[in-house]
Amino acid sequence: MATRELTIADLTRLLRSAAGEEEGVDLDGDILDTDFATLGYDSLALLETASRLGVEYGVTLTDDDMEAITTPRALLDRVNSTLTRS
Amino acid sequence: MARSVVLLFPGQGAQYPGMAVDLYRRHATFRTAMDEVLSLWGDEGRAIRTDWLADWPCIDLDDLRRAQPLLFAVDHALAVTLREAGVVPAALLGHSVGEIVAAVVAEVLSLSDAAGLLAERIGHLADAPPGGMLSVAASPAEVRPFLLDEVALGAVNAARSVVLAGPAAPLEDVRVRLHAAGFTVLPVPARTPFHSPVLGGHAARSLPSVRRLSWSPPTVPLYSGYTGGLLGPAAATDPDFWAAQPARPVYFADALAAVSTAGEQILVECGPGATLTIPARRSPRVRRAGTPVVPLLPRRAGAPGSDLRHVTEAIAGIVEAAGPPGPEVSTRIAGSVLSR
Repeated sequence: MATRELTIADLTRLLRSAAGEEEGVDLDGDILDTDFATLGYDSLALLETASRLGVEYGVTLTDDDMEAITTPRALLDRVNSTLTRS
Repeated sequence: MARSVVLLFPGQGAQYPGMAVDLYRRHATFRTAMDEVLSLWGDEGRAIRTDWLADWPCIDLDDLRRAQPLLFAVDHALAVTLREAGVVPAALLGHSVGEIVAAVVAEVLSLSDAAGLLAERIGHLADAPPGGMLSVAASPAEVRPFLLDEVALGAVNAARSVVLAGPAAPLEDVRVRLHAAGFTVLPVPARTPFHSPVLGGHAARSLPSVRRLSWSPPTVPLYSGYTGGLLGPAAATDPDFWAAQPARPVYFADALAAVSTAGEQILVECGPGATLTIPARRSPRVRRAGTPVVPLLPRRAGAPGSDLRHVTEAIAGIVEAAGPPGPEVSTRIAGSVLSR
């Protein structure tokens, strides 16, 4: 449990549930380096994603953190570096 | 490859300090169009302009007396700028005060009548109970159990993005309960409970003067957040429909789904920021069709020249997607940029 990793599939599932199944990002296509704004994720949807990450992975991301994290890859890296450290 | 252009006009919540000020200083057409609208409001228009350009405004930007007229003026001046660039919209959709701008572009109302309607509306709402709006990452069904008599669903912007509106104290109560239940909640920058029934009486007071305005059927397909679809000529010219808007909920997601059914399109946010662009990008129909969604202005004020660069690049992209304007129009665009 200590080294549980957030996979791309996990993150995609979280992003989809945050926005609603109909509107979530597509699994296909390379979304990792696409800006959240381009993917249709505003600050409300990103804070919702952060809240779900907190519940499921115990990772705390502040509003300022989320402001600085602009792509799915940056979010993945941030969460996984936190998980490895703990 | 010729895409039809749909203009989206944002409303309260889209304003940010210094919005479009850089463009006002550098773009002659935009500047003239801003000045034209502001001059319709006389002394108050001069005070609005002074506050807009000031670092420390007398009346805060989020106050309805500043946010509403400035959003109206900026949205409209951008539409004029686009028209001069040869961009002809195929459909229009506004959010809240943005819907009045859409009405002007669709020639439902003259610019001066629309400015009068807005001034009247602001006057009647000035003594409304102080309150505000909350964005919640939830579906309408999820928030329904939290609503109170005074706190209503004010807008549905996307499948899991709704806005609640109400007077300050009960709204705070709802915020606390939503937070405790694990919902993500963000305040909307507003001090008035727009789109809640609390404003019903205030909105109704503008009826007599709104009925005196001159209304015409839309010359461009006009979509409404209040009906969630295309506005027919009867509704579009019904003063009661327009007067009641501050107290009625906005179904933006439905209206967006309705407007985005017709063929190859490009959606253009004709106002400050990207408050409509971002939810539009995750709307299922827009995403499935690969429809580009382009905001004309940046999401915040930046370095000198940044507004102009952003708008120029956005318009170039729109013109390319929609088909090129004639040579005469191109010359006018080049000539309209102030040289400094």
